[in-house]
Amino acid sequence: MPEPDPGRTADAPPPRRGLFAAGARRLLRRPGALLALTGWSLLEAAHTFLLGLAVARALDEGFLRDRPATGLAWLGVGAVGIVAGAFGTGRVHRAVGALTEPLRDLLVERVVGGGLHAAVTPGRTAGAAGAGAVSRLTHQVEIARDSFAGLLMAGRAFVFTAAAALAGLAALHPLLLLVVLPPLLCGLGVFAASLRPLARRQRRFLDADEALAAELDATLGGLRDVVACGAQERVRAEAAERVTDERRAASALARWGATRAVALGLGGRLPVLLLLLLTPWLLDRGVSAGALAGALTYLLQSLAPALESLVHGLGGAGARLAVVLTRLRGGPTDDDGPVRHRPPPPSAADAALELRAVSFSYGRGAAPVLDAVDLTVPRGGHLAVVGPSGIGKSTLAQLLAGLLRPTSGHLAAHGPVTLLPQEAYVFTGTVRENLGYLCPRPVPDAVLLGAADAVGCAELLTRLGGPDAVLDPAGLSAGERQLIALARAHASPDPVLVLDEATCHLDPAAEARAELAFRARPGTVVVIAHRISSARRADLVLVLDGTRAVAGRPAEVAAGSALFRDLCGGWDAAGGSQPAGPLGDADGVHAVARAGLPGDR
Amino acid sequence: MTPADRVLRDALRHQAVRATLLALVTTADAAAVLLLPAALGHTLDLLLAGEPATAALTGAAALLAALFLLDAVETVLTGTTTAHATARLRTRLIGHLLAVGPAGAARFSRGDLVTRATALAAQSGTAPGAVAALLASCALPLGGLTALVLIDWRLAGTFLLGVPLLALVLRAFTRRTGDTVERYLRLQGEIAGRFTETLAGARTIAAAGTLRRERGRVLAALPELSREGHRLWRVQGRSNAQAAVLVPLLQTAVVATGGLLLVAGELSVGTLLAATRYAALAAGIGVLTGRLAALVRARRSGARLAEVHAVPVAPHGTKPLPPGPGRLELRRVSAVRGGRTVLDGVDLTVPGGTTVAVVGRSGSGKSELARLAGKLTEPDHGEVLLDGVPLSEADPAALRRAVGYAFERPALLGGTLAGTIGFGPLPPPDPERITRAARAACADTFVRTLPHGYDTPCADVPLSGGEIQRLGLARAFTHRGRLLILDDATSSLDTATERQVTEALLNGDRPGTRLLVAHRAATAARADLVAWLEAGRLRALAPHARLWQEPDYRAVFAAGPEPADA
Repeated sequence: MPEPDPGRTADAPPPRRGLFAAGARRLLRRPGALLALTGWSLLEAAHTFLLGLAVARALDEGFLRDRPATGLAWLGVGAVGIVAGAFGTGRVHRAVGALTEPLRDLLVERVVGGGLHAAVTPGRTAGAAGAGAVSRLTHQVEIARDSFAGLLMAGRAFVFTAAAALAGLAALHPLLLLVVLPPLLCGLGVFAASLRPLARRQRRFLDADEALAAELDATLGGLRDVVACGAQERVRAEAAERVTDERRAASALARWGATRAVALGLGGRLPVLLLLLLTPWLLDRGVSAGALAGALTYLLQSLAPALESLVHGLGGAGARLAVVLTRLRGGPTDDDGPVRHRPPPPSAADAALELRAVSFSYGRGAAPVLDAVDLTVPRGGHLAVVGPSGIGKSTLAQLLAGLLRPTSGHLAAHGPVTLLPQEAYVFTGTVRENLGYLCPRPVPDAVLLGAADAVGCAELLTRLGGPDAVLDPAGLSAGERQLIALARAHASPDPVLVLDEATCHLDPAAEARAELAFRARPGTVVVIAHRISSARRADLVLVLDGTRAVAGRPAEVAAGSALFRDLCGGWDAAGGSQPAGPLGDADGVHAVARAGLPGDR
Repeated sequence: MTPADRVLRDALRHQAVRATLLALVTTADAAAVLLLPAALGHTLDLLLAGEPATAALTGAAALLAALFLLDAVETVLTGTTTAHATARLRTRLIGHLLAVGPAGAARFSRGDLVTRATALAAQSGTAPGAVAALLASCALPLGGLTALVLIDWRLAGTFLLGVPLLALVLRAFTRRTGDTVERYLRLQGEIAGRFTETLAGARTIAAAGTLRRERGRVLAALPELSREGHRLWRVQGRSNAQAAVLVPLLQTAVVATGGLLLVAGELSVGTLLAATRYAALAAGIGVLTGRLAALVRARRSGARLAEVHAVPVAPHGTKPLPPGPGRLELRRVSAVRGGRTVLDGVDLTVPGGTTVAVVGRSGSGKSELARLAGKLTEPDHGEVLLDGVPLSEADPAALRRAVGYAFERPALLGGTLAGTIGFGPLPPPDPERITRAARAACADTFVRTLPHGYDTPCADVPLSGGEIQRLGLARAFTHRGRLLILDDATSSLDTATERQVTEALLNGDRPGTRLLVAHRAATAARADLVAWLEAGRLRALAPHARLWQEPDYRAVFAAGPEPADA
């Protein structure tokens, strides 16, 4: 959705100046391509120059003097000019490409850099940043590329064609310039003056178009909900409003298009009229009939069409480019991502993780997600974190991994921490690259395969074709991707591992096998539990219930936390291992919600 | 007349005044364009001969002024006609989609519908303007050629001979451009694919600190893309160079013939000049084919819009719903979806004020029943009644006020989180009601942890499945109707939260009937009655405790997947 930019009101001029300056700097940095563009454009312009001249000379020295051979010869010169000019046209395209492709490369780098940077920046809004980034990468970058090339093409074509035509006119008779130049400059002046308002309307139109698309995407995608909520009338009215906005913007743009007709009329048509009006005067001053015919040829066949493509090409493309480039203002292209916070080592010698009154909230004024959590996990310990969804378990995982900093309190960790999130990341690459992803140095295949075997991934690897096989992430199920990620974590040298529901797509047996493998691995493991069975396997349990955190051995916690008992009971019932009792009672545990649960506050 | 033409004709009729005006303007413009070379040539001849040329000059000046004005009017009119026609097509399409509802629109994907309502409607919207300008578009090349014939048949002959000859010469140089474009798009897709892959793994990348490595991996194909891009420019340059040769050479040939006629005294300088211009106009046949192709494209887009309009609107009545407890009746209801009988003669009565859980294996027709119960779709046979009124006869607005829904994957509409919870007919419910509903749905806690709380735009928050469900439940809880339908709306909640939400649902202060599609035995256990569906038929309607005795019933819950607690 197009965010209304707080720093820019609708009436402020678009930031063109800075854009053009940046564009010009970029062009000047490639003198070779610019030189080629100029050279080939000159050749292309030779065609224009020769065209009127050939007609004039063919008439004056040939056909009008009963010398048809001379006339044809001059036309032949013109034809050679046409072919040479066409060769120039072909080369001009290459030169424009040489200037445009680097821009596209830069934009792709920026969009990818910015998109990735935003996606890995921690916080509640991470991930949303990536939405739309792919459209920017494919669609909008191409719009920028086409618009830039179009601008370069039309602007350059006009400059060289106009220069060649004016030079031709001067060659025919300098007085002709006096007739043609003033109205042409007037037309250009009108065009230049209209560029800014035209660009503003173009921008408004593109904004309205995007707002409409976003609104329709939401409402048509949620048509079931619109009808179920009885919101048809409201949605119809809102959509009609967007449609009308877009129509108004398009109409305003069309009305301003009339300035193009004015510019064309002044610059392209008025010279023709002036030329005719002044013909007797020009004839008196020695301008020949052929020169007049040549001048009209220049006006009608070169100048007017060049002006027309300038006027039509520049206005729209310039505004589109400006709009798209401001959207594409990507992020850094060579950074290492957000700085990870390295917690200090714990004060106790045998502790792996130490939390003292750790609190965290997403922004000032927001209620804390974690409030004064105290916890110590010994080295080699196995902690399971349980609690209802949305209670802050993943936030805790990110704090432990140093991706978030506590708002207050003290957090210490022994050595680097590896975090394995719920969404297993498997990329297009070899199995070896995927498994060794967390190892800073290359690791022998045997170590990687050993890790895979330990977590129960060996069979999958055999099926995929061994360490050299190239993985296709889309061809793997969510559970298979998690197995690969688990093997990768097992092979990591980091002494502390945090598994944030990293086994949620595995069946209970596979989950148990993986968790036991991590227990057997030297080091500390924190499991954000997806199933209560994970808590039963752990040495320590931390229960988060929204107001307080209770930690201890599973049996102690079960005795002290009704929520823990509630979770145990519920999970088992859903698993189908026991019949769910009638209302309000699942395997004898007191099930009525009490103070301490989210929503009770 | 095809359906596409009917859609476009409506747009044309809606823009009749503008289109007629545009037709007149473009025709007049074409006439002026065709007259101008002759007028210019005639004037030049008079001036060169030193004869009085005031009348001719005035005529030429009038033509130039007319062209200037007509051009300006045409530009504005074409733009506004297209804008208005596009708006008309869009409004009608959106209106129709809202009228057919989710069941009718289901045959199109979301992206497809958006494309139809945006890009394709815009393309169809050009049709009225293109139709209006069609006469003028034909007139220019034909007029140019006729003028050549009228001046001298040999000029026309030169032109007509030259066209195929040049076309043949140029064809020899034409090369295939298709594969280069294809390679370029493939590489672009490869980069986009890796980018998407990497974005999905953002949390792993953040945790592992491997951003630089990943950026390199995504951009690995960029140099090759760049090479293909350069190649595209070369190919395009070649074909444009060919186009740059054709028309000027034709004109030169006409000038050469004209020059020979001039020597023979059969042509004047002014007429020769006019002939050159007419040759260019006649060569503009390419412009005409371009316009025709655009019209064909507009019609093809119109056909895509017509496909949407072809979906029939379900009948509805105007009967108000009498006051009642929310008694829901299904009478011999059958539904066929995609050739499969999803529900088969279901008779079900839900007494007003009770809670009925709908259970059954996946594919047994639970969700279809939930949709039918609130007229989100229509039965193929049978009738659904609410407090004695058949839904097909009820006033739609009254029906929506009476029936509320919560879904497994609700669409979050309404902008902010508060707007989402209060989404429905305007005016929105007051904030107090929204927070109360959010609290009942266990959504209040996580909403308050957001920097802007209830005012946070949904688009700015990546919500988990459980959080989305809780917002959808809160939205249903703000609804004050007599029937509330929950279609698997608690499946992503952990058991503790689900228990709490169900508690609020059953024991809260809201009266009325509740229909819950449930996968968990614990949920079914809390309902007054369970409607047990099997292969589209109602197998039993009884309390959970009684049904639990049957092994078949217990088996319905045994294979249930674990909650995907997020």
